[in-house]
Amino acid sequence: MNAGGWLLFGVTWGIIIILATFCFMKVFSKKELK
Amino acid sequence: MAQKRENWGSRLGIIMAVAGSAIGLGNFLRFPAKAASNGGGAFMIPYLVALFLLGIPLIWIEWTLGRFGGGFGHGTAPGIFHNLLQKNRFIKYFGVIGIFGPLVIFTYYAFIESWTLAYSVFSLTGRYSGLADQAGMQSFLRGFQGIEHNQYFNGLGPAYLFFVITFALNIWVIYNGIKGGIERFCKWAMPLLFICGVVLLLRVFTLGAPDPAKPDWNIYNGLGFMWNPDFSALFSAKVWLEAAGQIFFTLSVGIGVILTYASYLSKGDDVVLSGLTAASTNEIAEVILGGSIIIPAAFVFFGPGDIQSIARSGVFNLGFVTMPLVLNKLPWPAIFGFIWFFLLFLAGITSAVSLAQPAVTFLEDEFNISRKKAVVIFGVVTFILCQPAIFFLKNGVVDELDFWGGTFFLVLCAAIETVLFVWVFGMDKAWDEIHKGADLNIPRIYKFIIKYITPLFLLAILGAWLWQEWIPIISMQKVNAVDRPFVLAVRIGIFLIIAVLAVLIKIAWKKKKRQAESKV
Repeated sequence: MNAGGWLLFGVTWGIIIILATFCFMKVFSKKELK
Repeated sequence: MAQKRENWGSRLGIIMAVAGSAIGLGNFLRFPAKAASNGGGAFMIPYLVALFLLGIPLIWIEWTLGRFGGGFGHGTAPGIFHNLLQKNRFIKYFGVIGIFGPLVIFTYYAFIESWTLAYSVFSLTGRYSGLADQAGMQSFLRGFQGIEHNQYFNGLGPAYLFFVITFALNIWVIYNGIKGGIERFCKWAMPLLFICGVVLLLRVFTLGAPDPAKPDWNIYNGLGFMWNPDFSALFSAKVWLEAAGQIFFTLSVGIGVILTYASYLSKGDDVVLSGLTAASTNEIAEVILGGSIIIPAAFVFFGPGDIQSIARSGVFNLGFVTMPLVLNKLPWPAIFGFIWFFLLFLAGITSAVSLAQPAVTFLEDEFNISRKKAVVIFGVVTFILCQPAIFFLKNGVVDELDFWGGTFFLVLCAAIETVLFVWVFGMDKAWDEIHKGADLNIPRIYKFIIKYITPLFLLAILGAWLWQEWIPIISMQKVNAVDRPFVLAVRIGIFLIIAVLAVLIKIAWKKKKRQAESKV
């Protein structure tokens, strides 16, 4: 894999993992359904 | 008296159910093939742009519309549209698409889902373990599908048996209700799906270069085939449309499923964070797992020469021919083969039950039928409707159903609901509705995106498809002459389903009007 490939691989994985982690942390810290 | 509507038992329950609906065979088969054939890593730029400008806004719109409709006792598009547009007399008929789409997709998806269950069993029993080349594995698949009689299968019997088992499992899950069936099932199926995916991911990442004579056929170059960018692809409108289309299908927007699932929320329940969490769970499955398993593994065993044609060989070929061949070359092929197909089965069943739900909810809400009775009616009707996909697969019936139910009407439905919500209901009211009970504030830029960019994106996709595909599809240019009567029959069937649904809507509303008048 070339440098461009690693960059896009890292950025895409990073965005998705950060988004999912952020969401699940918020979900578990917030109230349940009414 | 109207029956009390069900509710989700927990927030994680609805998130897992919506994510389960979105995560399907496409995450593991369609996405990697699309990315590898459309610029590799460069494909991820339009993909992410479409995720944030099209996918996530549509997710919020549908979750909000669903919760809004649920507040009036309507969990499907006809009732939701009716309440959205000040009870306009005709708008409810546009909602037909929100029931028709999932119903039609279910009629072929249940059959495809059953292949994954069958192949899970075939892996464990070693039924295809002796096959070592594409031709043999393709012949095995065609024999199983009943397309040809060969040394592996002598008819559709085994495929039909697995279809009946799979169909019964789907119906059983729905029969047990939203909380006791779908939620309970998805809460264990989704973690199990991710465990299967992670096991396969680790196995693929530790493949190295299995053939010492071919050191270049290694996992790094396999990932390179998937991720090395071809930036010239960014100048192709087709690549942008492919990326937008992929986002559309992967998030299950425009089908009507999210509307129905979200209708079982209460008025003050959050939709912003829950919707975003379900979408990000789907992205983990698609990009992290789906993008790292099949194409890199196929590269390692088939090399750079064949991988291009493999990536373009179609979803079924990738999943049911290439992947079992790859796994056959690994130690413990039975175990890894089983994990692969069971992963696809879990992805399939969590999607299939969601496809069944809008029609069941429509019968419950609009005809005041009990859930169990509605599921029985749905089961009988769809069992009959599934038969053409099983017996006439080779005649292009599934492709035709997939175009109308799974492609064209999805985009049309999303375009209608977006225009209704943003432009007819009104953006300010829509923004307030989205934020009711929200656990997360959406950045204000999204007010502009949802109002202008998302509808434009949708119209661009719809326009481009009409421009490029409409005439060849309508005139059946790509259909063999021998298959044309079958394709025509499917189109007549689709028209009849739409007509029947429209009549049912008319009857339901007339009945409600009479009931309301008799009360007065």
